[in-house]
Amino acid sequence: MASTPETEGQKPKHRPIVRIGIFIIAHSFIVSVVCCTAGVLALLLLPVLAKKTYVSENALMPGSAIPMITDQDVSGANNFINELTSLNLKSQSLNIEIPRLIALHMANLGGEVSYHMFQNQPNKFHPLHFFTSTDTEANNVNQTCESYATNTVGIIRAPRGDGKESIVLVTPYNPVNLSPNETLSLGIAYSVFSLLTQVSWLAKDIIWLAADSQYGQYNSVAAWLKDYHTPSFGGFGKLHDDECHISNDIATEVSDTLRRAGTMAAALVIKVANTGEAGEQDALNIYAEASNGQMPNLDLINVVSYLAVHGQGLRVQVDKLVSLLDSTWLKFIGEVFETVGKIARSVNPQWKFGISVKEYVEGSATLVSSLYNQALGVPTGSHGAFRDYQVDAITMEISPKLFSNSKGRQTELFRGGRLVEGVIRSVNNLLEKFHQSFFLYLLTSSNKFVSVGVYMIAFLLLVAPLPVLAASLFSDTIKSYVESEKNEPFKSWRWLYPTKTVFLVHLWGAIVSLLPYFIYQIPDSQPTSRLLIWASLSLFILFVLGSFFRARSAEWALLKSVTVSSAFIGLCLMSVINFATAEIGALLLVPMCLMTKPWRVAGKVQSALNLVLVIIGFPGATFFVVKSVFGFENGSSLVEFWYWVESLWAWNSATYIYICMVHLPCWVLCIYILLHPC
Amino acid sequence: MRNREINNFLSRSILTTLLVITLSLSSSSITHAAVHTNNWAVLVCTSRFWFNYRHMANTLSLYRTVKRLGIPDERIILMLADDMACNARNKYPAQVFNNENHRLNLYGDNVEVDYRGYEVTVENFLRVLTGRHENAVPRSKRLLSDEGSHILLYMTGHGGDEFLKFQDSEELQSHDLADAVKQMKEKRRFKELLIMVDTCQAATLFSQLQSPGVLAIGSSMKGENSYSHHLDSDVGVSVVDRFTFYTLAFFERLNMYDNASLSSLFSSFNPNLLMSTAYYRTDLYQEQVEQVPVTNFFGSVMKTIHTDSAYRATSGKDNSRVKYDVTSSQSDDVDTRRMTSSDPGKQVDHPDIKLVKGGGCPHADWWNAIVEKFQGIKNGDMIVNYGLVGMLTLVAVSTWQSS
Repeated sequence: MASTPETEGQKPKHRPIVRIGIFIIAHSFIVSVVCCTAGVLALLLLPVLAKKTYVSENALMPGSAIPMITDQDVSGANNFINELTSLNLKSQSLNIEIPRLIALHMANLGGEVSYHMFQNQPNKFHPLHFFTSTDTEANNVNQTCESYATNTVGIIRAPRGDGKESIVLVTPYNPVNLSPNETLSLGIAYSVFSLLTQVSWLAKDIIWLAADSQYGQYNSVAAWLKDYHTPSFGGFGKLHDDECHISNDIATEVSDTLRRAGTMAAALVIKVANTGEAGEQDALNIYAEASNGQMPNLDLINVVSYLAVHGQGLRVQVDKLVSLLDSTWLKFIGEVFETVGKIARSVNPQWKFGISVKEYVEGSATLVSSLYNQALGVPTGSHGAFRDYQVDAITMEISPKLFSNSKGRQTELFRGGRLVEGVIRSVNNLLEKFHQSFFLYLLTSSNKFVSVGVYMIAFLLLVAPLPVLAASLFSDTIKSYVESEKNEPFKSWRWLYPTKTVFLVHLWGAIVSLLPYFIYQIPDSQPTSRLLIWASLSLFILFVLGSFFRARSAEWALLKSVTVSSAFIGLCLMSVINFATAEIGALLLVPMCLMTKPWRVAGKVQSALNLVLVIIGFPGATFFVVKSVFGFENGSSLVEFWYWVESLWAWNSATYIYICMVHLPCWVLCIYILLHPC
Repeated sequence: MRNREINNFLSRSILTTLLVITLSLSSSSITHAAVHTNNWAVLVCTSRFWFNYRHMANTLSLYRTVKRLGIPDERIILMLADDMACNARNKYPAQVFNNENHRLNLYGDNVEVDYRGYEVTVENFLRVLTGRHENAVPRSKRLLSDEGSHILLYMTGHGGDEFLKFQDSEELQSHDLADAVKQMKEKRRFKELLIMVDTCQAATLFSQLQSPGVLAIGSSMKGENSYSHHLDSDVGVSVVDRFTFYTLAFFERLNMYDNASLSSLFSSFNPNLLMSTAYYRTDLYQEQVEQVPVTNFFGSVMKTIHTDSAYRATSGKDNSRVKYDVTSSQSDDVDTRRMTSSDPGKQVDHPDIKLVKGGGCPHADWWNAIVEKFQGIKNGDMIVNYGLVGMLTLVAVSTWQSS
């Protein structure tokens, strides 16, 4: 009654947010182009946007105390190294003699010593145990004494501490083939241990784990950590035969039951690099990436790099992609950013986002390496084992110039000892777990980082076009139906047909990801043949699935719409699990999904572009392209790809799941759309 | 008839005297401000954790200083939010230092901590100030000050704009502090109060104060940080804050009998050394800070007067004629020592001195006894009421007699 004919004739006016949505969907092409460009640009800008690191936790106070390590500690360590070296030359059964020598020295210094015996557990693919640790299927087949490796664990109880927390020092060494670097790292740990048995300021217990790395550095630490965190009843020693025990002359001092200290506040893996680089100073390499791109708290890296730079005058470096350092296009981008920064500064001196070309190139090389290591989801060292137990850990690799003569060795011992002592004293001041600083970050140099709030923008810009495009395609097809006036029921439910196709392809992806488990059951097969079996089986299953559920060929637009939506969901889920994987995946997947179009509909140029994108988008092809561009390793055989994939599932990397269950199905669907008979 | 007249006269005279006495009593209790009788100190360290070592060292340094300058332990309320001395990280177990030279252990034998650890809360702090305690709280943990007390309130910790953080979990806001001080004033718990705060933006904590007799010193202005003075690289922590360090440096030069004034303390703070601007709020304080010795708050030393004649010094109110001999050294003649307030017009006997004083004029003794008795009576209204009841009965008796 109240409404006049004029208002009835008008369309109901939507709320502003709905109108903005409609506007964006209507201009989906421009939005896609702008967002994708902005996303890539934001990624390139990350080295410029990186912030300086700072020690966020007040309690840490790195460097506030002077190092107390004395000549006595160092000369003791020197003697220890000499003994190890002479033993290495003389003795036969080194894998028993060296742990015994270490245990003897630990006990003499005043630590509580125990052995930890473990067996090698080969990495196997357990599809049902993904993300969970494999349970102890004790490999009882060849249980000889030789098959056991022995970690030696020394514990210093904090004299006035409550014994509820501890700090772990790890020195991996290979008793079968003890290298001088490993003896030096053992010596550094010895000097620190020797000091810490005497000090009165410990609030956390100190655990020195001399990890027997004959079955791999990671495995030894992981085995010890697992036993440390598994409550055992009746003693650990019962697991083994009695004759396997190391007969100890130091009698009661060394126990075979696993001794524990408190929960671990932090862990430091001490290593000495093989060859010093040609730099002026000694360098310290920091490795931090753990499984699935998890990083230790940034504060731990900050403390180590602060103490190394300001305390010991070391040059701290994190892993970077050396081949990128002299790439011309990166230099060109760097120059562009530099000039933009200069112009901005001339406009307003307050704006300081300029960065020199050299800085930019180095930052990008480090960033790419950081992204790659996180995306791979494989830990970069034995510190990764700690992250699985939510313990912050890093590997400190000291690369000295030379230490062949004993004097050089002495200074290295002093330097390394002081550094480790400083870090321990700083962590000792900690009251809670590391929590104050970032856990989600990318490093662009040892003292610069990009936090999650910044790098997420690049990713979000990159994936933002996907839902827009999906909505636009969907609304266009629905509109065309309405216009064509076909008298079909359930017009608005038509998207269910392509959804079925997409679901089937994703199901196929899940099956493909499980196939390697069965391939491993085939005895004595070569990697190449395994790979071929995998590929052919996958193709076969795809055809079977396709023929059984012969989907009526839906409109390509709707199919693309659903594909794009599923890609969007997959990428967003992955960005929560492992950002770096999602970022790299989005770089490959988003252009492919956005561009794909049946070759009959699209023009020649677009079809060619689509073809290139699809070829690059195949995981195997990507692997080879990336390798040849960045020069990771030489050789481009199929074997290497197999090993790469094998390492992914061996390390329980979520990247493997992503590739099989998001990337590969989307790639197949893109090909399907490309070949769609319109 | 005659009897009756005498009775009449008697009753009237008694009435008038009673009236006069009650009137004079009530007026004196209002106009006569209390005189300085004793000194109290409330020293608060509000922050926990090992890296806040310096706050405990600050407080313990102040504790040592006020004890050295004469405030006894039973009049110091010491609140320490954490126990650095027994922290496992302390390289020197059971010792606390405020200087890297480690000459002075602040945590020696004679430290009485009244509130420690998690007892140091905003609630307990306000209870101490206002005196509203649970019944079970022992006297040693109470601030038993009176209207003649000078109180030093020293606080240190982490603060910000109009707040001071307690225990990393709660905070004291400036209006909480102002309210507590106002309650103290109403309850006549102090005569003069010096609030000294060493924290970031300390000046903001005083913005709400209104009560007269309050003097406030803060280590920094609004928007400024207060910094630590130096790092003890042996213990591995900063051991003292700048403001407190220079306050202590000022007091180390003093002994119990020095006459350094509050203004000299104020002027001793050098903004360049402090790296912040010390703030003084004196508008609520009636006295001239140039004339008030620091020992009025930081010690327990009151002016001692050596008089040749005990009689003249005690002979009543016209003691403005008496020549004072203010001694700055320990008086050897204890018998003739008398304590007076800084205001010569208002004078009272110190109760301890009373007993040893002898051989004065009987009239003066009698008068003093009355004065003391009346000053002992706090409840003026009750006396007036009793007086009125007494008057009524007298009137009744006298009328009954006369009739």
